[in-house]
Amino acid sequence: MFLFIVRRIFFAMVLLLAVSFFTYMLFAMLPSDPAALTCGKNCKPDVIAANRIRLGYDKSLLEQYWLFLKGIFAGRDYGTGAAAFSCGAPSLGYSFGQHECVTTLIAQTFPVTAYLSIGAFMLWMLIGISTGAIAALNKGKWQDRAASIFTSIGVSLPTFYIGLLVLFSVVIWLRILPFPSYESPFDDFPVFLRTMILPWLVLAVLSAASYTRLTRNGMLEAMNEDFVRLGVAKGLTRRIILRRYVMRQALVPIVTIAGLDFAGLLGGAIITESVFSLPGMGKMSIRAVVESDLPVLVGTTMVAAVFIVIANVLVDIAYGYLDPRVRVK
Amino acid sequence: MKQRRIIAAVGFALVASVVAAACGGSSGSESEGGTPTKGGTIHILSNGEQIAHLDPQRNYTGDDLAFAGSTMHRTLTSYAYAGGDAGSEIVPDLATDLGTHNEDGTVWSFTLRDGGTFEDGSEITCADVAYGVSRTWASDVITDGPTYASSYIDAGDYPGPYKATAEQQAVYDKAVSCDGKTITFNLKVPVADFNYTTTLLAFSPVPKAADTGEKYDMKPVSSGPYKIESYTIGKSLVLVRNENWSKDSDPIRSANPDSFVYEFGLDEAVMDERMIKDAGDDQFAVSFGIQPENLQTVFEDDAFKDRRVDYYDPFVTYTNLNVKNLSCVEIRKAIYLALDRDALRKAGGGPYTGDFADGYIKPALALDYKKSTLPDGLNADGTANVEAAQAAMTAAEAACPEVAARAKAGLSFYRPATPTWDKAVAIWIDSLGKVGIKLKDEPVEPSVYWPTVMNPETNYDIARGGWAPDWANASTVIPELFSTNGGFNLTRNADDPDYAEFQTKVDAAKKELDRTKQGVMWQELNQFVVDRLWALPGTFTKAQSIWGSKVGNAYQWAPFGAFNYGDLYVKS
Repeated sequence: MFLFIVRRIFFAMVLLLAVSFFTYMLFAMLPSDPAALTCGKNCKPDVIAANRIRLGYDKSLLEQYWLFLKGIFAGRDYGTGAAAFSCGAPSLGYSFGQHECVTTLIAQTFPVTAYLSIGAFMLWMLIGISTGAIAALNKGKWQDRAASIFTSIGVSLPTFYIGLLVLFSVVIWLRILPFPSYESPFDDFPVFLRTMILPWLVLAVLSAASYTRLTRNGMLEAMNEDFVRLGVAKGLTRRIILRRYVMRQALVPIVTIAGLDFAGLLGGAIITESVFSLPGMGKMSIRAVVESDLPVLVGTTMVAAVFIVIANVLVDIAYGYLDPRVRVK
Repeated sequence: MKQRRIIAAVGFALVASVVAAACGGSSGSESEGGTPTKGGTIHILSNGEQIAHLDPQRNYTGDDLAFAGSTMHRTLTSYAYAGGDAGSEIVPDLATDLGTHNEDGTVWSFTLRDGGTFEDGSEITCADVAYGVSRTWASDVITDGPTYASSYIDAGDYPGPYKATAEQQAVYDKAVSCDGKTITFNLKVPVADFNYTTTLLAFSPVPKAADTGEKYDMKPVSSGPYKIESYTIGKSLVLVRNENWSKDSDPIRSANPDSFVYEFGLDEAVMDERMIKDAGDDQFAVSFGIQPENLQTVFEDDAFKDRRVDYYDPFVTYTNLNVKNLSCVEIRKAIYLALDRDALRKAGGGPYTGDFADGYIKPALALDYKKSTLPDGLNADGTANVEAAQAAMTAAEAACPEVAARAKAGLSFYRPATPTWDKAVAIWIDSLGKVGIKLKDEPVEPSVYWPTVMNPETNYDIARGGWAPDWANASTVIPELFSTNGGFNLTRNADDPDYAEFQTKVDAAKKELDRTKQGVMWQELNQFVVDRLWALPGTFTKAQSIWGSKVGNAYQWAPFGAFNYGDLYVKS
């Protein structure tokens, strides 16, 4: 198992390096010119050229990428003379649009996204798996049909639609909750809860639908397996059969998808953050796209990639635990 | 100044603006005056993620200038807080008067009032103003801001305070000198309206010891009635009273509310719904812009009559014609007459987007505006006059056959590659096709549109434009757009036989120290360009805004096309 983990981590590092290279190159080769976006009305060719030098976009792409990589480990300096400043390691660059080091920006916005993701993830796993289990255990009954309706609605409603609907009805029309205004849980926990409850519910309900379906199908499939029949024949209790054999079998695909979904969410729940005005990483990424803020774009993409890769490693390790045959391979 | 909300509409990314509004073109209302009361909080709902720049020397956006100038940054002169034309009048701010100048307008002096202080209680000195202005030369750090100071002031090769040698600093200190409370600007050229230039926040004081260069944008030192309590990009900016500000030293700002809360990053649909519902704190809110789908709700229901406004924003849209390539006026006239401006306006959103322009100077510049006489045959309702256009085309074939042949072969049409322009260009091609003029569509990625068309090597025939003046004087319109030494002349008109006459008239207008006479000169120059159609007038663009029922004295402040933040109050 140890070698298996070491091997996975090594490949993950190689993958991250490749992702950083391609991400940087891809965004750097976009037709937009970040230097042209820094000087407003006075964007004349000489000013653009000066800003290109200031931003480091005058260098070759490979050199720019090398400086980016170097900054991650050694930090980066910007400007000269009295106006010089630096972004300490790990530096992902500096956003001249937001006047801040990208790492700092990510440190400010990531907790918002993380709280959103963790809360929503816990809720959707709880709702999805329990609803799916109830449906599987009551196959063909009204509970199963209700779960089926729930999944159909959940997978077909777009987030922005249900998000706006919930926000308008609960906050603006009925005024049950005040308009969300994010506060850190350490600063004002009641306000934090009031702000997050709707985004959590919206994300959870919509995502739980898929997990309901996955759990139901996985459990029904497992319940028809020979080893489950054997357990029943041997006289094991229903509880033990469900917990030790059925759920364990059904959880394998759920773990895979949940890991990736959660990691994807950590990269930014763009629509949910936008609708509920949460200052998270997803919203920042969208802004970076609109404003061609290359350092932020690369930084947030890299962070999202790190989470996806880490999730993949963890899923692989969990797979190894759930299915020993994977370790051998 | 940059105007974010107009970017998509006119494709003029990061273009600036100041002068706008209301003058006769505004409908809707001002919230009733009543008796202003002190206290409360005004909320500002915004789709943006931040104030573009709070650093005064970098602030160059109509709404941001209005907000920061009303709350945090004082400058030498400012605009009167008043609706309509009166709002475009300049008044002394930090200075005791509107400045004095020598005979030809090359030396301007302003004396600072007593009692002006920064938020730490220290006195605002002449040196602070001089230092603030000096920062505009540091264009590698102080980006995005206006560069009028460095264009006008005779400071040699001064590189700004961060890199200047002792000798270079001495040159600057001579060009911008202090004598007690009097600051004197020595200019390279006569500038008759330099006291309008000083309304820009680029002329605000900055204490040298507090200057953090690029980072100053996030926490500038206040010289106005409010200071920053907290500022989180993407979330909010909270301003609270600056206890060290004294009303005695500031005759123009009312500073009624105790605080301002700028809420960033709101979905536009959510902003509209909140403002329409008008509940809770939103009763104390103002919101810039209304989504097209909600305009009917707001403007056709009397319930909103006291808290809505439909007004001219600062922009004029127009189309540059490359006079070098399209060298005879007949062909330019044929294009103008053939163009279905009505279809273009409908495609852009209909009458709420603006009125058909009759020139390049908007009515808000009251002293400088006079309705122009447009070419014979141009339909007032904006529809194409194909017959008249065909006649102009025939005349062009006789007067300048090679230019007419070029038009028939295909004219390159440069425009930003946006969905709005994807639709508009189809109307252009269809309209001009009816008189035999072909267009070659040249969409340009929006972020590089301006650098592309401003590059002398780009040989366009037609290029889209949009403009707003930097202060309430057409000196920032006509010379900028049509002089060869103007910042945004895309008409390539230097070889036009009438150009020399035009430039002589422009030079004379720029030097005219009598503001009324100068206004008449701009009116004549506006007509001069319309007669020659170096550019085709497009639209005097409009915008719509709404505010909460408990916001008092709200109106659109003409110089900025923005709310009069410094004059609002919370109704008790």
